[in-house]
Amino acid sequence: MATDNAAADGFGEVSRVRGIVFEYLSFGASVFGLVALGVLLVYVAVDAFDLANASPEWLLTYFLTLVVPFLGFCLYSADDPDVTRRAVVALGGGLVAVAALFTAVEALVAPIPRLNWQLAYLFVVAAPVTAYLAYVGSRGRVGGVGFGLLGRLIGGVAIGLAVGTLFLVLDPLVWFLAYTLGILPAVGLYALGRGRSSSRAQTAAAPIGLLGLVAAVFLRDVVPVFPSDLIIYLWTIAVPVAAAGAVLVAGRSGRTAAAVVGGVPLAVATAGGFLAAGAGLPAPTVLLVLVLTGVPTGVYVSRVVDVGEGLVGLGLPLLLAAGVVAGALIVEAWGVPAPDPWLDPSYLTEAPSRTPTEAGLYPAIVGSVIIIAMVAVLSFALGVGTSVFLEEYTPESGPLGTLTRILQVNVANLAAVPSVVYGLLGLGLFANLLGLGIGTAVTAALTLSLLILPITIISAQEAIRSVPDDLRRGSDAMGATRWQTTKNVVLPEAMPGILTGTILALGRAIGETAPLIMIGAATTVFRAPDSLFSRFSAMPMQIYTWAGFPQADFRYGVVAAGVITLLIILVGMNGTAILLRNRAERGS
Amino acid sequence: MSNTTSDDSLITTEVQADSNDDRAPLADAGTAVAARNLDVYYGDEQAIDDVTMEIPEKRVTALIGPSGCGKSTFLRCINRMNDMIEICRVEGDIEFAGKNVYDDDVDPVALRRKIGMVFQKPNPFPKSIRDNVAYGLKIQGFDGDVDERVEQSLKGAALWDEVKDQLDSSGLELSGGQQQRLCIARAIAPDPEVILMDEPTSALDPVAASKIEDLIDDLAEEYTVIIVTHNMQQAARISDRTAVFLTGGELVEYDDTTKIFEDPEEQRVEDYITGKFG
Amino acid sequence: MTDSTESPDLTRRGGLTRLKEGTYGGLFAACAAITLLTTAAIFVTLLSDAVVFFRSISIVEFLAGTNWSPNPAGGGQAFGIIPLLIGTITVTITAAFISIPVGTLTAIYLSEYATPNARSILKPLLEILAGIPTVVYGYFALVYVTPALKATLFPEMSTFNALAASIMVGIMTIPMVSSISEDAMSAVPDQLRQAGYGLGATKFEVSTGIVVPASISGIASSYILAVSRAIGETMIVVVAMGAQARMPEVRQALFGIPFVNPADVLFESGMTITVAMVQITGGDLTGGTLPYNSMFALGLALFAVTLVMNVISDIIAQRYREEY
Repeated sequence: MATDNAAADGFGEVSRVRGIVFEYLSFGASVFGLVALGVLLVYVAVDAFDLANASPEWLLTYFLTLVVPFLGFCLYSADDPDVTRRAVVALGGGLVAVAALFTAVEALVAPIPRLNWQLAYLFVVAAPVTAYLAYVGSRGRVGGVGFGLLGRLIGGVAIGLAVGTLFLVLDPLVWFLAYTLGILPAVGLYALGRGRSSSRAQTAAAPIGLLGLVAAVFLRDVVPVFPSDLIIYLWTIAVPVAAAGAVLVAGRSGRTAAAVVGGVPLAVATAGGFLAAGAGLPAPTVLLVLVLTGVPTGVYVSRVVDVGEGLVGLGLPLLLAAGVVAGALIVEAWGVPAPDPWLDPSYLTEAPSRTPTEAGLYPAIVGSVIIIAMVAVLSFALGVGTSVFLEEYTPESGPLGTLTRILQVNVANLAAVPSVVYGLLGLGLFANLLGLGIGTAVTAALTLSLLILPITIISAQEAIRSVPDDLRRGSDAMGATRWQTTKNVVLPEAMPGILTGTILALGRAIGETAPLIMIGAATTVFRAPDSLFSRFSAMPMQIYTWAGFPQADFRYGVVAAGVITLLIILVGMNGTAILLRNRAERGS
Repeated sequence: MSNTTSDDSLITTEVQADSNDDRAPLADAGTAVAARNLDVYYGDEQAIDDVTMEIPEKRVTALIGPSGCGKSTFLRCINRMNDMIEICRVEGDIEFAGKNVYDDDVDPVALRRKIGMVFQKPNPFPKSIRDNVAYGLKIQGFDGDVDERVEQSLKGAALWDEVKDQLDSSGLELSGGQQQRLCIARAIAPDPEVILMDEPTSALDPVAASKIEDLIDDLAEEYTVIIVTHNMQQAARISDRTAVFLTGGELVEYDDTTKIFEDPEEQRVEDYITGKFG
Repeated sequence: MTDSTESPDLTRRGGLTRLKEGTYGGLFAACAAITLLTTAAIFVTLLSDAVVFFRSISIVEFLAGTNWSPNPAGGGQAFGIIPLLIGTITVTITAAFISIPVGTLTAIYLSEYATPNARSILKPLLEILAGIPTVVYGYFALVYVTPALKATLFPEMSTFNALAASIMVGIMTIPMVSSISEDAMSAVPDQLRQAGYGLGATKFEVSTGIVVPASISGIASSYILAVSRAIGETMIVVVAMGAQARMPEVRQALFGIPFVNPADVLFESGMTITVAMVQITGGDLTGGTLPYNSMFALGLALFAVTLVMNVISDIIAQRYREEY
């Protein structure tokens, strides 16, 4: 009988071939898009940095002076023989495998355009291994310190440049008055009230600050003499930032450390500012960059020294700088043929041009920074306000509950409206009907704010919803009003999530092009915008324009450099957002 | 059955007798909170059925009963926390400070500032210990010496000695029992009249729970404590008066704790206390 | 209360506290109102100019016309949406050929096969695909994908073509399909899977025979959303597809059955609704002209179509949420 046979053979076997094929197929599908994007990114990077013309010697030099020490640092920090072994095997084995495979494909199938096996090794093996080791290394003490310091240096420079850029359109004189008459007294009063536990002083702070702001606007045209711009930035930004850093440090490590952390960057920045003024550089920006880099770095170093662990990590920036210098010296001394990257400092500081080699992205970068700053303020305020209203102020049932549901559905639908339609809204409403002007920065900022508002709201709602109800009830039971519960308990808990969502949404805004075209943003401007109502261009606009130019140098060089710039800024923003989220998750 | 349980196997009341002998006789106490013909509905379902009771001032009153009997609902009516539940409807009166708290002109926020509450699960805010205790003072615009009040309240919650050196560290770093005492300190900092406790020890280990029980006894010197508990021994140990709620939100018996645990009037109460159901 | 203690005041306070509470509540309500106003503003803006447009061009002419040439210079002005629809549909369908199978398989892999570790790496990486600015995708299509296709598979392809643009739109919308489908698949209760395994089904049979059918409404809603996104996509097609509003040549097959050779559409440049809108902005933007108004008529059509699709997708998605 058949059953007897089956029993004798065990249970037999059900074929798994289909299942296995399907599993690999579905895995292939999951990485298909990523691989495609990865290949495209490799090509655009090769074009932007002219790596196709990089000689193997040049690549080797920098690999040895920059990448290898960095990998060593990460391995030292990870301090795990397993990781070290795996890294060596991957780097070494990868070298052989890529070289062999690449040569075989070139010989047997077809030459691969604009890539050689060295570059392929760099992108396929070296880059992922480096990223992996950086991740592993950053989890060790030493690596954590090193990357923390590096992050503050880079972040400080970025914020300093961004603030400096904002003052291209903001009037420093109004800011000077507003700070002196409004912000400073208000903050002072608030701090005083906190110190003496007097709520009266704290309540007075807001109206007094407001009064000062109003006074500043009026006095702007009355006051005849103003200090120089450099003094203004020194007084309104450098001194308070240094003071804040010093206060932070003073509580932990005493007065001497505080004086050093506050004083040294302030002195260096002041000196740097005046030197830059003498040398004809943009002095305020130099001052801002130095102080906004120096103070957070100082605070961080002082904290690391206090904790006393992973001090070696503080050497990471030096290690990298030394690598760059050593590489440059070797290239210079031995006359190694170097590539001529499109993405170089002059690309970032010069205006567009009809000649590819002279074209730069500067006015577009400034335009993007200004718009994004306005969008950040607007969409954050509106997004938080709406999500608080939806989550904390409206009931889920009853007639008001219906309103809540309508609002909710409306937000969801707005999130799916094509961006080009928002462009039409901006054109019809802001530019023409309200007369804010076609292609002005204000119109663009308002349009993009509305565009990302639904995304901001949805992510802020999620963040607010994730605040445990226990805390709300605890606060309510203490006799807190709704606003007090929201302000003291809900918003502080939800803030990291809200900020993460807002930054991610801003990442969307910075790359949006279609709405900018619709509101008539300039395809090319040769000067950075100097007011909120001047015509402007933005990075994606400029990329769009250049992509239409027929010359190969534009298509394969200038645009590639623009794409890389835009993507680096995006990665920076999203990376910050993710770090923020991880940190908040670890904290709670 | 009931004959055999009448004298020895009912809950021992010695502890309870111990803890309360330092207070004046119950009869002298005024009334802190009084419910009159209170009905509460969740949608169509009745959670409290015509409850009338007077809760003595500066005493511990325990509300016991099986799950879903409405004891927590009753507690949350006193400081109107049930307002947060949209389908909840309340009829009847709860009198506190000479007013029906459900009157139109009563501000639930003002009411809650006079009635502290401690929850089942410790819920300190993710702030420093100091800020946790000072929270009520801050929202009420307290103008006196905050630090002094924080110290007093932490001492009142028997937590001061354990945390005085770490007032600026997060309240979440404390152990469960310490967190619950922090919540008690938070509740007493604004000096309320009444403290409501909703099963405050059920999420804690026995040692931490017994500390809270001792604390509740001390709190009754100054505050009216109303505590919901699942644990009958606990009710017997710490309370002066006990109210037994049974299914359907009915207040079956309300009397001195000694009476309830030694010689209840109602057979149902005796059955419940001896563990026949619930 | 006993008489000895002074009675606390429980009555509502007027004045500053209430004012403050009310102000904040009002402020938040105003923020929320802005979202409603935005929708209203979109409607009004689009409608008011579209109405003006339809006074000169009849709706029938607009919807049935086969010629789109809004530029008054150089011959007759014509506002027929059909060629634009053909362009839009071409891109949408071709993109769906990529995003739907790839996205669905990705969702199955993430929900059924991937280890938690792999999932935690893959999911955020896939979101990157939707986060790349679309102008960058357009640039990729024009500068890398088209030449690559031309050099290998389709030498007859023109520089601006629908295929490269559609591929990029497809890749961009993969995460839309995969993330919503995966949510729906993860929402399928484990008991259903275990019931399948209990009957001796393999993992493949459980995935395709139980999980996918059980989450079909969620999957369908993700398809609609991805398609609606593809319809509204602008920059990829603007950069890579060119701007020629064309009617494809209708050929005669055996027995005179008319057909359109896909190559005529895919390898040549074309124009979508969104491209037409962008193209008009090259001219006058202050308003009042017929092309200006036609932009809003197109916008209205686009808005209506995407809105309807989103609502449908929402209704379908609601079904799977209610099921469990």
